[in-house]
Amino acid sequence: MLLKNALTKVPTLQFMIEDLDLKSSVGKRFLLDFPMLQTANAIEIELNLVEKVLESLVLKSTFYTKLQTKLSQLRDINGSIKNIGKNLVLDDIELFEIKHFAIIVQDIFNLQKEYQLQLIELPSLQEVIEILDPHQTNIPSFYIYDVYSDELAFIRKKIKTCKNTQYQIEEECLKELDSLFAQAEVLEVGVRSLLCEKLRISHKNLEIALNNLAHIDVVVAKANQAQKMNLCKPTFSDSSTKYISMFNPQIKQTLHLQQKKFQPVNIKLDKSVCFITGANMAGKTVVLKTVALCQYLYQFGFYIPAEIAEIAIVDKIMFLFEDEQSEGEGLSSFASEMLKVNVMVEEALKGTNVLILIDELARTTNPIEGKAIVNAVANIFFENNTRSLITTHYSGLSSHCRKLRVKGLDQAISLETFNNYNINNFIDYSIIDDGIGDTPHEALHICTILGINQEIISKAQNHLNN
Amino acid sequence: MPFVKDIENYKSLAIVGLEKNTGKTECLNYVLSQLKNGTKKIALTSIGVDGESVDQVTHKHKPEIEIYEGMLFVTPELLYKKRKLVAEVLEISTQTTALGRLITARAQTSGKVILSGPTTTKSLKELIVKMQDYGADLTIIDGALSRKSSGSPTVTEAMILTTGATVSGNIPQLVFKTEYVFNLINIEKVEEVLVDKLMEIESGVWAINPFGEVIDLKINSVLNSEKIKENLFNFGTRFYVGGAITDSFIEFLKNQKLGTEIEIIVRDFTKIFVSPEMYYSFLKRGGKVSVLQKTKLIAICINPTSPEGYNLNSDELKEALELKLLLPVYDVKKL
Repeated sequence: MLLKNALTKVPTLQFMIEDLDLKSSVGKRFLLDFPMLQTANAIEIELNLVEKVLESLVLKSTFYTKLQTKLSQLRDINGSIKNIGKNLVLDDIELFEIKHFAIIVQDIFNLQKEYQLQLIELPSLQEVIEILDPHQTNIPSFYIYDVYSDELAFIRKKIKTCKNTQYQIEEECLKELDSLFAQAEVLEVGVRSLLCEKLRISHKNLEIALNNLAHIDVVVAKANQAQKMNLCKPTFSDSSTKYISMFNPQIKQTLHLQQKKFQPVNIKLDKSVCFITGANMAGKTVVLKTVALCQYLYQFGFYIPAEIAEIAIVDKIMFLFEDEQSEGEGLSSFASEMLKVNVMVEEALKGTNVLILIDELARTTNPIEGKAIVNAVANIFFENNTRSLITTHYSGLSSHCRKLRVKGLDQAISLETFNNYNINNFIDYSIIDDGIGDTPHEALHICTILGINQEIISKAQNHLNN
Repeated sequence: MPFVKDIENYKSLAIVGLEKNTGKTECLNYVLSQLKNGTKKIALTSIGVDGESVDQVTHKHKPEIEIYEGMLFVTPELLYKKRKLVAEVLEISTQTTALGRLITARAQTSGKVILSGPTTTKSLKELIVKMQDYGADLTIIDGALSRKSSGSPTVTEAMILTTGATVSGNIPQLVFKTEYVFNLINIEKVEEVLVDKLMEIESGVWAINPFGEVIDLKINSVLNSEKIKENLFNFGTRFYVGGAITDSFIEFLKNQKLGTEIEIIVRDFTKIFVSPEMYYSFLKRGGKVSVLQKTKLIAICINPTSPEGYNLNSDELKEALELKLLLPVYDVKKL
């Protein structure tokens, strides 16, 4: 799984990737092609890089300003580098790109040395510069210089003289000019192929340099984001995944713009099944999506939106969110949901190390059978030690599963205090362990607050009383 | 050369042909040959045509321009590869045109190149600034008056217009057509406050009320519905048109009862695709046209021969135009 494939699945992940301040297109490509890491060691290496940047971000801010200016000049010259490897002769434009690139690499190489801050080791491209900058000007411009070939220099001189006398003997001169140009062209091709042969020795180094600069761009961007969004460095856990004060950065930002606060939550996930119940509007779905986000962030080597995060590695994340539509396939919402759940269950039965997140399982069918399905699926996950989180409105759930509940509305506060604009302020989003698993009956309460037609509410109340 | 001295007073210049084969390339080549021995640093580019394809360049003849040692030029990759001179690559643009990325280069020897360039007015403006950063004193743009290009040559400070026998085979007709474009180029600019407000708007029809507020009339193109007619004058009689104006648009406005006080503002004169008859009759009825962007026409170059074989008398043509337009007129082949 590559990052670009995960992007579309979790909107907040996309939000965070778009928010990253990447300076180069190679950085962007590197990031999108970044694989989902599967070992604690690989993740740790990436996170340590981010940490290294974070530690020096303030202290060596000039270094980062200079570094990012250089990175923004980077062009994606992957094609030109590949052409060198393939024994092709590059044209002037490609040679210019290589030279321009080598100078940037050398500048960053020196910058890391000067500030004694080596983020990722870069190969020296001094040799490349020497080949393409014979006058040692260190200016990133290029053409087939006269010094490359005496013969070429001689022909060029002849062309110049010929041009200057053009007006006296036009016809003859034009003919000669044409032939001189042709000769010069042949010589230039010779020079180019010689240059490319020399450059071929540095082919690997060019490749490594491009890759490593892209990586540096990504790591610096990750660190800047971690600082801006107040993210934490996660640690590896070989048993439970645990988040203290986990938040959703996208919703947090939206709320911040409305001058509201996001209430972080604590949650622990064992290698077993876990239910979340809670009233409508209590943020169950947000918890689910944020857990999916954090798992991806960890395994793509990002910091985590939480105060403390201990995370177990999974091979695969599978989820089913309420807002997923499959009308295109011509299936009812129940049918398409069950087919997706089936895939998850089969993975669980195989014993794959997955993280399964299901939002309101079997909500679109009758409550009696729905509850039975929820219990059945939960039991399978329980028996197979499948790390899973299921939100539901059903009461009377399988007794041996862990049950969590979002606290929800403070019942003691009088109804007049709310309206549908400030209701969020009165919901307690914290997650508590809930032994009984009896879902709170707050639906009508919330309807009242939302100002739903009183007739619906009173009639519903009558039904309940009967 | 008198008009070459004049050119040196400006930082940017466009050379624009009234039609194809009016001798624009000869004019440009002449100007460059005169500037080559001067002290000014020259940069050169052209306006790219939107959707210009490889075919159009390779199968149709696109003229080569003679560039001299030390001059800067900008042209896309594909054309750069066809250059017949030694040039040093200075920069490659990040944006891509249909003919590849734009290459900025410095000529190390004189020789010929085919030019194309940015396609939008905005990127043309940016390019002129960039050329100045590279030390260019004068940036020359090989311009075009074409519906096919959204880039307008009016971004430059000065302009040379080329006209000739291709436009018309008889001198009075040729003078009439040239005078029309001359009049369009000289359309007055609106007040600066309004320029800032309207510059970013590139489409639609907008009303400007007496308080200078800009209101979107939500009209996309032709005025066909009765409803639009009713609401058109709700905010006064000043209009800004983001795109091009055509005969049918003027016709419509002209026929309104308030026709006498109407003012139409367009981005620049290249957005006016109105026949001279329609344009003049609109003005006669009290209508007014103004622009956001204006350039100064400093000279006219003529080509008295046309590819169809018309051959006008160069001196007669020159005299007739000078008399009418009160501007220096040159036949570059006779200079």
